[in-house]
Amino acid sequence: MQTLRLEFARLPDLVGALMEWGPVWAPVETSAGFFTLEILEDPSQARPDALRTVVPFKKLLLAPSFTMISGGFAETGGLDSGAVPDDQRHQVLFGAHACDVHALKILDLLYLSNYVDPYYAAQRDKLLVIAYGCWPDEKCFCDSLGTSNVDDGFDLALTPLEGRFLVTIATSKGDDIVRASPDLFAPATAEDIRDYLARLRSRKDAFQLELDVADLPYVLEMKKDDPVWDELARKCLCCGSCSIVCPTCSCFNVADRIEEDGSASRVRSWDSCLYRDYALVAGGHNFRADRGDRVRTRYYHKQEAFVREFGMPSCVGCGRCIENCPTGIHVVEVFQHVRGEL
Amino acid sequence: MTVRYSPTALGGAGIVREVATGPNPYLPAPARILRITELVEETRLFELRFEDPSLAAAFTFRPGQFVELSVLGVGEAPFSLPSSPTRKGTFELGIRRAGVLTGYLFDHVEEGDTVGIRGPLGNGFPIDRFDGSNIVLVAGGLGMVPLRGLLQFLVDRRDAFGRLVLVYGSRSPDRLLFRDELERLARRGDAEILLTVDDPGELQWDGRKGYVTDLVGELEVDPSTTYAVACGPPVFYKYLLEKLVDAGFGKDRIFLNLERRMECGIGKCGHCAVGYTFTCLHGPVFSYWDAINLPELIHE
Repeated sequence: MQTLRLEFARLPDLVGALMEWGPVWAPVETSAGFFTLEILEDPSQARPDALRTVVPFKKLLLAPSFTMISGGFAETGGLDSGAVPDDQRHQVLFGAHACDVHALKILDLLYLSNYVDPYYAAQRDKLLVIAYGCWPDEKCFCDSLGTSNVDDGFDLALTPLEGRFLVTIATSKGDDIVRASPDLFAPATAEDIRDYLARLRSRKDAFQLELDVADLPYVLEMKKDDPVWDELARKCLCCGSCSIVCPTCSCFNVADRIEEDGSASRVRSWDSCLYRDYALVAGGHNFRADRGDRVRTRYYHKQEAFVREFGMPSCVGCGRCIENCPTGIHVVEVFQHVRGEL
Repeated sequence: MTVRYSPTALGGAGIVREVATGPNPYLPAPARILRITELVEETRLFELRFEDPSLAAAFTFRPGQFVELSVLGVGEAPFSLPSSPTRKGTFELGIRRAGVLTGYLFDHVEEGDTVGIRGPLGNGFPIDRFDGSNIVLVAGGLGMVPLRGLLQFLVDRRDAFGRLVLVYGSRSPDRLLFRDELERLARRGDAEILLTVDDPGELQWDGRKGYVTDLVGELEVDPSTTYAVACGPPVFYKYLLEKLVDAGFGKDRIFLNLERRMECGIGKCGHCAVGYTFTCLHGPVFSYWDAINLPELIHE
């Protein structure tokens, strides 16, 4: 790793330089106070400081809906497997926060190990990740989950200090980006490093929300038949918003389509375990017809089952589900309720 | 603080597997339907062979694994294999009409047509552990389909095992799958076959009446040298498993072949997840001990 500094005023120049690599996706204020991840048309649109875009970066790797396989109806030979993207240029994710980078690693874990998902892998290979040092608000609880900082999984990181950024080069590609615009950067000074460390300390104190993860998988196991899940089911609409905005929720449904010209395709689309027909099988048996079961499943998957399988939760504490739940379900309060603290 | 990410897990550096039918695990390989046999009403046996001769020759699997069959434009679904890997070249699928894809297979697909196949998928039965032991197979209804593959495998390696017992129950005599074949095995002395039906109704039936679970209680086997393998509908497990435990079987000597909505078959889409256990990847075969620790897996 190498550490440099970049003056605040030169940020648009860096973004402009990144646009040479390929489309740059960054948080953009699409309407007052609402940020979405968009391809920049102009460097000044980038708002890497914006805490959370409605939908996270996962849409760059696995589009909400895409064709996996296409060909003639009922054909079996010579099908187009669509795994190689048309656009071979890089995609730049500008303004990934620590929780996003951790979520990216979780998706890598799911899609690049065991059977490699070729659609994910093709997009992942093209991705350049420019991380950005964020400052928590009242919905951030990443610090409880160990995802408030990250030291790999990105190419370049910018940490805002007064009037300048501390720039961390983490990969060879990150180094290429810096080398392409040498006049933008200067070596980091002792003062930069001191200010960076001071920022680390005060950021730690800035967290307002805490999730108690002590023994959480075991607590959940003991509370699996607790009435809290039925109470929650009465509040939850099973609309799936929390899944859509979650950076690690990546379940999908596959459905075949027939086009008017006689061709056919197999289309893969985002799905949510909260939807009623999620576990429905042919013949009509639904393994999770009960709403309470579906609600519980989502929380258990994140905080119990994933921990058992991978030794860590698949929640990164980004707060998107808190921000976007139409009935105000608050994930931290759910677990407080489970513990009998509310 | 929890340690996040094992070093092997990132960037595809972990264990990477490939499906026999090709490097893109979502892309099916063409397979020709050689023969369609009516087993019982609305249930047919399809015999298939991969179009690619080298894939057809190399294709092997463990009993208890499954494949995804698809028709582009209609859909894809998982099916267990009622044939044995000891019989090479072709493989079979036992299919009951249940939804859109199976409806298409029954109404529009004929011998000679090709369909798409991905697989084999899932873990299969722990056949390596069975050597030298007695095996009791317990099937309910359509659960006979995967157990027929295991039975063929065991019979083809008959000397490697002790007693081989199949207990199979169906609603009525005309719904018993592979009945002639099973009775032939019994006559040959290769396996002890106990068939039962819930209610014969007007049909001719000299055999047992009642539920499979009742027969299990009567089995005279030494549970310490026997493995039990069960496959049936969700309600079947509810009563059967405790019967087996009562009969002295350790929970790690009972294996179940479970059904879920196994859509991608490779542990990605999430539909068959029970807790974090993907039925398609870590199953569909589980020991009762593993299943009991995933409550949703067997209790409805």
